[in-house]
Amino acid sequence: MHDNAVFSHKVLPYFLIAPQLIITLVFFIWPAGQALYQSFLIEDAFGFSVEFVWFENFIYLLEDPEYWNSVRVTFVFSALVALVGMILALLLAAMADRVVKGAGAYKTLLIWPYAVAPVVAAVLWWLMFNPSMGVLPFWMDLFGYDWNHYVNSGEAMTVVVIASAWKQISYNFLFFLAGLQAIPRSLIEAAAIDGASPFKRFWQIVFPLLSPTAFFLLVVNIVYAFFETFGVIHATTLGGPGSSTKTLVYKVYEDGFVGLDLGGSAAQSVILMIIVITLTVVQFRYVEKKVQY
Amino acid sequence: MVENRPWLTVTRHLVLILGVFVIGFPIWIALVASTNSSSEFVSGLMPLWFGDEGFGNFRRVLSNEERVLGVSVSASWMMWNSFIMAMVIAVGKIVISILSAYAIVYFRFPFRKTCFWLIFLTLMLPVEVRILPTYEVVASLGMLNSYAGLTIPLIASATATFLFRQFFMSVPSSLMEAARIDGAGPFKFFKDILLPLSVNNIAALFVILFIYGWNQYLWPLLITTDEDYYTIVMVIKRLMSAGEGNIPWNIIMTTTILAMLPPVIVVLGMQKLFVKGLIEQEK
Amino acid sequence: MATVSLKNINKTYANGHQAIENLNLDITDGEMLVLVGPSGCGKSTSLRMVAGLETISGGDLYIDDVRVNNLEPSERDIAMVFQNYALYPHMSVYQNMAYGLKNRKVPKDEIQKKVEKAAEILEITNLLHNKPGQLSGGQRQRVAMGRAIVRNPKVFLFDEPLSNLDAKLRVQMRIEIKRLQQEFATTAIYVTHDQVEAMTLADRLVVMNEGNVEQVGPPIELYEKPATQFVAGFLGSPAMNFLDASLNGNRLTLSPDVVLDLNDPNLPTGAHDLEVVLGIRPEHMEACDEAGADFTLSVDMIEPLGADTLLYGYFPGTDTLITSEQPGKQQFKRGHRLALRIDRERCHLFDKATGKRLGS
Repeated sequence: MHDNAVFSHKVLPYFLIAPQLIITLVFFIWPAGQALYQSFLIEDAFGFSVEFVWFENFIYLLEDPEYWNSVRVTFVFSALVALVGMILALLLAAMADRVVKGAGAYKTLLIWPYAVAPVVAAVLWWLMFNPSMGVLPFWMDLFGYDWNHYVNSGEAMTVVVIASAWKQISYNFLFFLAGLQAIPRSLIEAAAIDGASPFKRFWQIVFPLLSPTAFFLLVVNIVYAFFETFGVIHATTLGGPGSSTKTLVYKVYEDGFVGLDLGGSAAQSVILMIIVITLTVVQFRYVEKKVQY
Repeated sequence: MVENRPWLTVTRHLVLILGVFVIGFPIWIALVASTNSSSEFVSGLMPLWFGDEGFGNFRRVLSNEERVLGVSVSASWMMWNSFIMAMVIAVGKIVISILSAYAIVYFRFPFRKTCFWLIFLTLMLPVEVRILPTYEVVASLGMLNSYAGLTIPLIASATATFLFRQFFMSVPSSLMEAARIDGAGPFKFFKDILLPLSVNNIAALFVILFIYGWNQYLWPLLITTDEDYYTIVMVIKRLMSAGEGNIPWNIIMTTTILAMLPPVIVVLGMQKLFVKGLIEQEK
Repeated sequence: MATVSLKNINKTYANGHQAIENLNLDITDGEMLVLVGPSGCGKSTSLRMVAGLETISGGDLYIDDVRVNNLEPSERDIAMVFQNYALYPHMSVYQNMAYGLKNRKVPKDEIQKKVEKAAEILEITNLLHNKPGQLSGGQRQRVAMGRAIVRNPKVFLFDEPLSNLDAKLRVQMRIEIKRLQQEFATTAIYVTHDQVEAMTLADRLVVMNEGNVEQVGPPIELYEKPATQFVAGFLGSPAMNFLDASLNGNRLTLSPDVVLDLNDPNLPTGAHDLEVVLGIRPEHMEACDEAGADFTLSVDMIEPLGADTLLYGYFPGTDTLITSEQPGKQQFKRGHRLALRIDRERCHLFDKATGKRLGS
């Protein structure tokens, strides 16, 4: 550690850290405090009257079936995005790990969606799933399935899940691949000498060793699905049909900017903050564990 | 390789090729759509092969001929805005993070731990959870519809600070001591030793942050009403709201290709550094 | 050309741990002073205080009669060679050696002259444009030395500079360092935990233990007349044997069967059943015939080293394992009974309670 190797200057470090700190205070801490404060207020849309109401906004929120619907939608959506993205990525990584020829080319061809904005991913899939002329409904029609995500809420959910997971596959793939390549070859060779078949080796040796990576990715993917997919919903379903794809973040935006319900939106923000803090703590617990390895 | 079973190798390649195909299919669709005319998207099956409108589509989008984008600015202008936003965010985040990590690792000062935890907190407060109050702060500072408003509120970074902190702590402390004996103060040590050693980290971080900045959606949506400050990613959504049947898919896909191109080029061009940086960022 | 003197130096860490207690040392001009001791004895801390890398909690540090307690390391005109060399990885060998001079605003052509001269002395001229990563351990060591000598400082400081090298290279570099230091006649402080290195390099040796100086003096003096049991046990390889004994006048009783009469006039007069420890080096027990022997060692284990052979066994009637060194040409077998005679002139007696040397 650097406990001895430090410069003895007293004022300089404050100058160095000031830009970061000022931006943090002005644009992060202060607004978060505001959200907390506003969540205890009821204000009419024109700002004429403000009333301090303690937990009324929260109580109202928790009694609102619309809010609970949104909670349910968010959890279903996040779980699906995480599972779809991770399973496909693991499959591809397991294949790529053992390929000798062309491994680099596959890697290149699989990682670029990382660079695509979620909203762009959503638009691409929205077109492909377009009920009247999209290529995927056209193929489904050949099997007699009538696709319409404008009316069918399950289908709408499917599109946003696929679009969100598609973008995330590259990220998961890179981490799974790194995790797989960090497993000592000698371990797999020992299992082979012990007579385990390739599939057994994967499930009994490789997969358990990969579980820290998988857990880490699970948290990252849930955070992604919770907070970074606003664009996906906003550009396509707008939370519909009905409220079947209205995630929590989309609802904060809608209630605050469209509905102008400041107190309600602030209360939702506070609840979201609690969720992020929980997820971050879980993630850091994991990091600490990994350090002990 | 432990053993060689030909059918296993073949299966692996087949799965990977299928994966590449499925992952790449949306791009194929986008490229094809950007070369067809809008009449191809009314009903029936969308085009699956290239048309001959490609040149026209890109020209019209890039120069906003006939107001195809539905706004008063061209795609080239919006790409410029996106570029400024991505660059300022990436460079800004790197600069303020490397400085604060330097302060935290190489100096001891009162409230050092407090500062560290304040920066750490930003990790738990993504813009999405404090949309409204952050908007109000930016509005009250008069930063709506400005490049400053688009970028400055986003350039605090806990992740980048942690990455540099981690890296600095892995630099042997004797290096700093040797530099002190060689007569280097804090500025010289930073400039002559630490910065050159951080080049790889900076480059990898740049890729990740450039993409982060370029792909911002919610933030520009909130704070820009003046079309002069629209970014390329934002405008796609505006084109989408034309209503079913009137959506100009060929124009949207052309714009989409333009919106994807710079970050994809950055990722593929700096692939090695980016992959290394991405994996290390989470350690 | 300089003298260094430490007066009542103390070091207490923020957590209250006292690393150094009242350290007094005077290093004369051109002298090589070696600080040696087990890890945690405070030798590195002392060196780092001289370098200015560690603050001094109390006392005064003088270099050439100037008090330097509050001077920056770069203002003390010292050069240091680190254990891990601390070469700047992104700079070439030339830049590494030139960096300190550049910061001191030495003109470019003069820097070049100095670096080239130092490189020549260290035989690394052909490496000047390589990066440290391309060098072997021994070459890096030379570059680190080069960085120190190029500045022609008042004092060289060495912080275990050889401990990252393999055994053969270590011997080679040890000789090199000695040669260079003598050639430049620069005052030097050298820290090591390796007693062989300490013995061979030192003009004067300082043995430290738990933040205190045990003994200071020329290596041979410390070897032949260790002032404490700690110094006696620390210096010499294989290590000295220690046997509990009781002293009555000049008569030393090791066991009912082994009684030695020492004729040392300096032993405390009138010692009566005084508990002492006898220290005797493995090479100071001679093989002899049964009649002249003090005791017989039943050999448990044999380590032939070529020139010598080390024999291990329990001192009769005790559970103390002792070592005896015998000429290598003789063949031994496990279970061999070896008659040994203790050299009376080479006995070291220590007070069991204080660990201090008794007699001469």
